[in-house]
Amino acid sequence: MGTQRYLLGKLGQVLLTLFFILTFNFFLFRVLPGDPVSLLVRTTGAELTPEQQDELRAELGLDQPIFPAQYLTFLGDMVTLDLGESTILQPGRSVLEMFTERMGRSLILLVASTAASVALGMLMGIYGGWRRGKTFDNFSMGSSMVLYSMPEFVLGIILLLIFSGWLGWFPTGGYTDPVADYTGIAYVTDVINHMALPFMTLTLAYLGEYYLLMRSSLLDVMGEEFITLARAKGVREKWVLRRHAVRNALLPTVTLIALSFGFVLGGAITVELVFTYPGVGLLSFQALVDRDFPVLQGTFLFFSVGVMLANFIADLLYGYLDPRVRAS
Amino acid sequence: MRRARRAVVATAVLGTLVGLTLTGTAALAQDSSPATDEKITFVAATTNDMTTVNPFKAIESPEYEVLSLNYDLLLNFAKVDLGPSPGLAESWSKSDDGLTWTFNMRPGMTWQDGEPITGADVAFTFSKIVEYKLGTSLDYLPYSDVDSFQGDDTTFTWTTEVPTVAPEIPPWIYIVPEHIWSEFDKEGFRKWAFDPASPPIGSGPFQMTEWDEGQSWTLTANPNYWGGAPKIDEYVVKRYNNEDAMVTALKNGEIDYLSGIGPDLFDSLNGQQGIKTWVGPATGFAQFSMNACDLSTTVAEYCADTGTTGHPALLDPAVRQAISHAIDRQTLVDRILGGYGAPGATIVPPFASYWHYAPTAEETFAFDIVKANEILDTAGYADTNGNGTREVPGGGDELEFRFILRSEDEQAPDLGRFISGWLSEIGISTKTEVLTDGKLINAWYANDYDLYIWGWGPDPDPDFILSTFTSGQCGSWSDTCYSNAEYDALYDSQQTATTREERQAIIHEMQQIIYRDVPEVVLYYDQSLEAYRSDRWTGLEENISPQPEGFLWGQYTAYSALTVAPIGAGGTTASTSSGISPIVWLAVAGGVIVLVGVVMLARRGKSDEDVA
Repeated sequence: MGTQRYLLGKLGQVLLTLFFILTFNFFLFRVLPGDPVSLLVRTTGAELTPEQQDELRAELGLDQPIFPAQYLTFLGDMVTLDLGESTILQPGRSVLEMFTERMGRSLILLVASTAASVALGMLMGIYGGWRRGKTFDNFSMGSSMVLYSMPEFVLGIILLLIFSGWLGWFPTGGYTDPVADYTGIAYVTDVINHMALPFMTLTLAYLGEYYLLMRSSLLDVMGEEFITLARAKGVREKWVLRRHAVRNALLPTVTLIALSFGFVLGGAITVELVFTYPGVGLLSFQALVDRDFPVLQGTFLFFSVGVMLANFIADLLYGYLDPRVRAS
Repeated sequence: MRRARRAVVATAVLGTLVGLTLTGTAALAQDSSPATDEKITFVAATTNDMTTVNPFKAIESPEYEVLSLNYDLLLNFAKVDLGPSPGLAESWSKSDDGLTWTFNMRPGMTWQDGEPITGADVAFTFSKIVEYKLGTSLDYLPYSDVDSFQGDDTTFTWTTEVPTVAPEIPPWIYIVPEHIWSEFDKEGFRKWAFDPASPPIGSGPFQMTEWDEGQSWTLTANPNYWGGAPKIDEYVVKRYNNEDAMVTALKNGEIDYLSGIGPDLFDSLNGQQGIKTWVGPATGFAQFSMNACDLSTTVAEYCADTGTTGHPALLDPAVRQAISHAIDRQTLVDRILGGYGAPGATIVPPFASYWHYAPTAEETFAFDIVKANEILDTAGYADTNGNGTREVPGGGDELEFRFILRSEDEQAPDLGRFISGWLSEIGISTKTEVLTDGKLINAWYANDYDLYIWGWGPDPDPDFILSTFTSGQCGSWSDTCYSNAEYDALYDSQQTATTREERQAIIHEMQQIIYRDVPEVVLYYDQSLEAYRSDRWTGLEENISPQPEGFLWGQYTAYSALTVAPIGAGGTTASTSSGISPIVWLAVAGGVIVLVGVVMLARRGKSDEDVA
């Protein structure tokens, strides 16, 4: 019962946040100077008479007052997932379709690299924190600081020069090899090869952060009295670590991981750019450069919903990790 | 008990996984050996993306490249000087009154779907351009209406209202098959888009067959091309967002050709084993524009409507000429372009060698700060209040100009610093603003600026770039709303000149006027920078166009696309894609699984003891 109410409450929060994000998105794009029709005329060089421009405005509903008519239409469109059509990048194509085509690629990359960096970073953090000041800790502390402070695109280009330029192991960009028509296992391998460098870059870029988080969180917990108590009871060191220290140290780490997901998304844009990896990040960059507002609006929505979901999942995990949260 | 069972399950799962991995590896070992197709593929890379390959909508250079390979023009751009040369039309002549042009179609040509190509296809394409006015820069078929074009199986005739050389310009319009396009109305023309299920039917040496948006596109050779079959099977363009990655890809052999990189990266390719760098023609220029909205000329109405805010001193030719003297164009070429370019002069770039006018030594605005100061002194601009900036004679405004730079141009900050520095030496101060293209376009339409820097990439024929300085283009393509009745009249007369020589003389005079009057300063002509794998490919350098300085690839009319061939004419695919083989990946995956499994089992064993 408690769990159910906790979940429902969280879900309500998510929906409320979504509503605010949508509203913010709507007004953000309406305060930009210039109306879409004149922008379309200028950027595409289309010759439209003033009457045709008015017609187009009516067709797009731009002759209606922004509030409430346009706003309500907008909310309706969002609920039915009608994100409109691309104006510049792929004129006339549905934005939703462009997303579904690319979303999978970005999700695989993001989920795999986040999982890898969280898992590795936390394991290293636990080990390093437990054996503070030992060789492993000193080494991983130093390298984590370097990775943590290095911008993703620098790391990406370094890895590119090493693994593509020097060793020749991985391709320099893209999602598949456009020359060969691979099928079956060869196709999967080709995709994995193309994904290897973006994956490595994102994993390494955030590994340091998770390592530092986990390590410091563990060190905090190790100073608590219940640890001393556990040791005094004669519990083996290994069990002090697993049952008492790590479990409690996980809580702040999970929160921070969820919070940092927004930065990971930002990093994904950079990494997709460096490796010309055709995901949602690259799409958002191109939409921004070419001023394709419907697509840009879609990417905003995508990223904000992504961050929101990450926080929702963190809340759920929280409830699982710490029963006190559910109860309260 | 429960734990023991878990250990058993884990072992079973692990065993299955290892087994699967091994079988997979074995299967792959068999799978990966043969079946390598003998396709010859030439792979190019670009940082420019395409948005459409609609022959009536294209704007960007990669889009034009695809069109030039997929379709043909009535007349081609000659290999050496880009003048009119046989295309779909084998020969042509004009009537004595100069009004009717007759083009004889090359016999035996077919569309990529096997239908014959006729003069009627040309007449159809041209009349639709005139009828639909789709609003691209393709629409220049002057002195003609829908009925000007007639075609039958073997000829195409073009009748104009006045004698003109326009039919020989040559019109940059890709001819489309009537039997396919006649079913579309205007909206159909506008909406037409690439569909891999029915590739675009043209007449060119290649046909676009695949397009992975934003990533790559593929053109397949047309073995029945009237100019002979290409020597490659496929041409693939890979798109990069990152120039470093592109250069790395050329070095490790993933791609065969690249263009459009900056001078530093280009230099890094110099002397690399197996790579040849190539400095091509200067086809574009950077322009320094000055607001010329003059309320006493024919553009007054538009300028007044927009409420122009241009500085009045810029309407004085003396000020503009002094500025032209104060800009050291050679330094810009050396420092901004790394030496890959030429100092700017007239508005028709030198690659259009027949039309380009090079100012004489006497006409040239040499870099001369002293002379620039003298001009301003003589014209009465003096610094009366001693603040280092001159004022308009008679107690007028300070010579302080708003100077707009593009945020989307990497070179803009350096260009801005150089020019502001020089201008301050002649008592002109500048207030620099960095704007996005969108905002600059707004400022430009509203005539709300004094100075800005942008660029042009003119066609081989100068008609279009010359038109942008006519009064009628104010509020449309004109950079500065420059207006000069003499120039406007010359523009019309170059369109109706009846011989090429006569037209050349007029066009030279027009360039002189713009150069002398300085509505804008052409800062430099930037050269195209290309590089390719010379250890694998031949047939490029011998066929550059134009000449003597020309493009290796991406030419106005595709010459090298027909001759490029792998060295050794072996027939194997020249480019190998890099990547680790599936076996290695499976081995890695297998290794990880085994490792995790072993650790897990070891721990389980121990934990059983611990609990006790």
